[in-house]
Amino acid sequence: MKDICKRLRGIFRRELRIFAHRPLFLFTMIVAPVLCLVFFTTLMADGLPTKLPAGLVDEDDTHITHIVTRILDSMEETDLVALYPSFTEARQAMQRGEIYGFFYIPKGLTEDAVANRQPRLSFYTNDAYLVPGNLLMKDLRYACELGSLGLTRETLYGKGLTEHQAMGILQAIVIETHPLNNPFLDYSVYLNNIILPGILILIVMLSTSYTIGLEWKCGTQRELYAMSGRSPTVALAGKLLPQTLLFTLMFVLYDVCFYRFLMFPCRSGIVPMMLLGTVTVLAAQAFGVFLFGAFIGQMRLSLCLCSLWGILSFSLAGFTYPVPAMSPPLQALSWLFPLRHYYLIYVNQALDGYPILYVWPSAVALLAFLLLPCTVLWRYRAAFLKYKYKS
Amino acid sequence: MKTISDTLQIWYHELTTIMRDKGILIFILFVPLAYPLLYSYVYTNEVVREVPAAVVDESGTSLSRRFIRMMDASPDVRIHARCHSMAEAEELIRRQEVYGIVRIPSTFGRDIWLGNQTHVGLYCDMCSMLYYKALMLTATNVSLEMNKDIKVRHHLHATTGRQEEITRMPISHDHVPLYNPQGGFAAFLIPPVLMLIIQQTLLLGIGMSAGNTREQSCGSFIPRHRAYRNPLHIAMGRLIFYFLLYLLLGIYMATFVTRTFALPQLGGYGTFLAFLIPYLLACISLAMVLSALVYRREDCIMVFVFLSVPLLFLSGISWPGAAMPALWKYVSWLFPSTFGMNGYVRIQGMGASLHDVLPEFRGLWVQAGVYFTLAVLLYRRQIRQATLQNV
Repeated sequence: MKDICKRLRGIFRRELRIFAHRPLFLFTMIVAPVLCLVFFTTLMADGLPTKLPAGLVDEDDTHITHIVTRILDSMEETDLVALYPSFTEARQAMQRGEIYGFFYIPKGLTEDAVANRQPRLSFYTNDAYLVPGNLLMKDLRYACELGSLGLTRETLYGKGLTEHQAMGILQAIVIETHPLNNPFLDYSVYLNNIILPGILILIVMLSTSYTIGLEWKCGTQRELYAMSGRSPTVALAGKLLPQTLLFTLMFVLYDVCFYRFLMFPCRSGIVPMMLLGTVTVLAAQAFGVFLFGAFIGQMRLSLCLCSLWGILSFSLAGFTYPVPAMSPPLQALSWLFPLRHYYLIYVNQALDGYPILYVWPSAVALLAFLLLPCTVLWRYRAAFLKYKYKS
Repeated sequence: MKTISDTLQIWYHELTTIMRDKGILIFILFVPLAYPLLYSYVYTNEVVREVPAAVVDESGTSLSRRFIRMMDASPDVRIHARCHSMAEAEELIRRQEVYGIVRIPSTFGRDIWLGNQTHVGLYCDMCSMLYYKALMLTATNVSLEMNKDIKVRHHLHATTGRQEEITRMPISHDHVPLYNPQGGFAAFLIPPVLMLIIQQTLLLGIGMSAGNTREQSCGSFIPRHRAYRNPLHIAMGRLIFYFLLYLLLGIYMATFVTRTFALPQLGGYGTFLAFLIPYLLACISLAMVLSALVYRREDCIMVFVFLSVPLLFLSGISWPGAAMPALWKYVSWLFPSTFGMNGYVRIQGMGASLHDVLPEFRGLWVQAGVYFTLAVLLYRRQIRQATLQNV
């Protein structure tokens, strides 16, 4: 036992020496994750995008339509930036990317409305930019409804009804929406909680494959094998331990930043999230070790697979487009991505604060990743002795 | 004459070395061909339908049942369970069987008959914004529809069919989601991702080739070959090789991928090609500049892969450019992908002409010019260093 500890320490120190000689490690292990943290949290500092540029085509131009304009401009997410004389010009402004949507008031709207001829308002949103398009849709639609209801309300007031009575007639059913645990629809909470750990998982997998592959590339694998006392387990454990510590610290930094500084909802407390972070780092490393073992001697191929896996995990984690809406083979495939399980456990723990038992399949799956290296250890043993780096 | 023959020799040398190198071929051939298909397949269902929800009907009247029926009949929501209490419904949220709860209060029917406003609670699990959107929009639509009925049937009785129609809706309105009528995820995300794939695979491919050369020719990223003497010729030769290859790949993406997955295709081929040319030139030149930083062939994977995620957000496609801090906007101008993605989305998705994307088009030419000059200068420095070493 003592012997193993000594060997681990030896390999650990050797690994630190390797890090010290390569600026690349400094970049990928420290600079890149911190840079991403700063980038994404400052990018979405507003939470929900507000003041999205929109346009207006007002062919009617009466005091009634001016009221609609004022309502639109006072809305949180809409910023009326321009008035266009015709529909075509508004559409062209949309194609130039100046506005994300516009409101169209046809000629004779006020006249038709007063004369009970049911005029028609239109609004156009640019859904090629889905997020701003959707947000604007909500506001523009609300303005349309308000315009329509306002007209009936005036009639009701004219008949001598009180505001209370009028509202009961106009809007009998009111929907009260409660977005649980993210009441302000904060996109920073929604996206950063998954994107940043996703990038970290990608970097962990790449670094794992890279550092192991470097031994073969530099032809020093036998030296490592000798230091480990001919045990692949000791060799790999000693080799990856410095990274485990570093990346776990990085995850802790993320958690502290999210849940202490930015005050993202964290109903489970910060400790379970740090624990989850540690297990996720280990799972990603285990996956990297597994991939390198499965394609032993081919550092490049395993790095390619790690990149593919890491980038694909952003889609298959299902935090933007939900997994149950994908086709069945992809739903099955999503089990093989650590980020998918991280996402499900995060929702259960930090966002909702429920007992972990409700997501036990994901917890088990994440732990099962830790066992993956056991399946390829025999290949490592052979590789340490036989294989050479192939470019 | 010398220029042309040298350039052609360099082009031929690049072609033969790269065609022999499986590692580079994966990035510059396999990934651009296969990844768009895989990615489109993930999002090909476009929208989320039938989001499961639970109902707590405390009213139990014919009106409340009608509300539930209408929710269930909508395309986006499915009533998964009828619960007797909120606690029971919350348990279903914990198990992730439903993503929302509709709570109809016990006073629902009585309020409506009395002409008072009644409040229906909608509780959404915020694990995915698309679930929230489906639930919120459906509940709002159902409430508006029922409100109109209540208004006409209970209060403002009409004598003719037309009058009833006008009372229901004094001003009608319609929403036109332009360029992405189904509000689909693939139509929104895949077109910009296609452009991002072009830039990222070029960075990886050219970086890897530079790393390869460095490993083979003692630290210089210019091969030892008699044609490689003039930095301008080297840059031209490389540029031509990658340009021709990626022109074909770009056309493949804009035609085959777009058609196979029925992505928006409004732009003219001529406009697209005219835009693709500066984009490719800018990407290749940037890749040549950045490849000077790559010292080992595998290093570029570590540096460039994770960048894809921040670049997607920098472009202003997934996160609206209007809500982006100024600093990041300036940073985004450094990368061709920002202009490339926006320009492509507008040309292909929105039918913009070259005139509409003029700022992006100019930006790409400026980038191409600046990065190409920089690449030539870097090559010149490298050649001088190499000659100094030889002396």
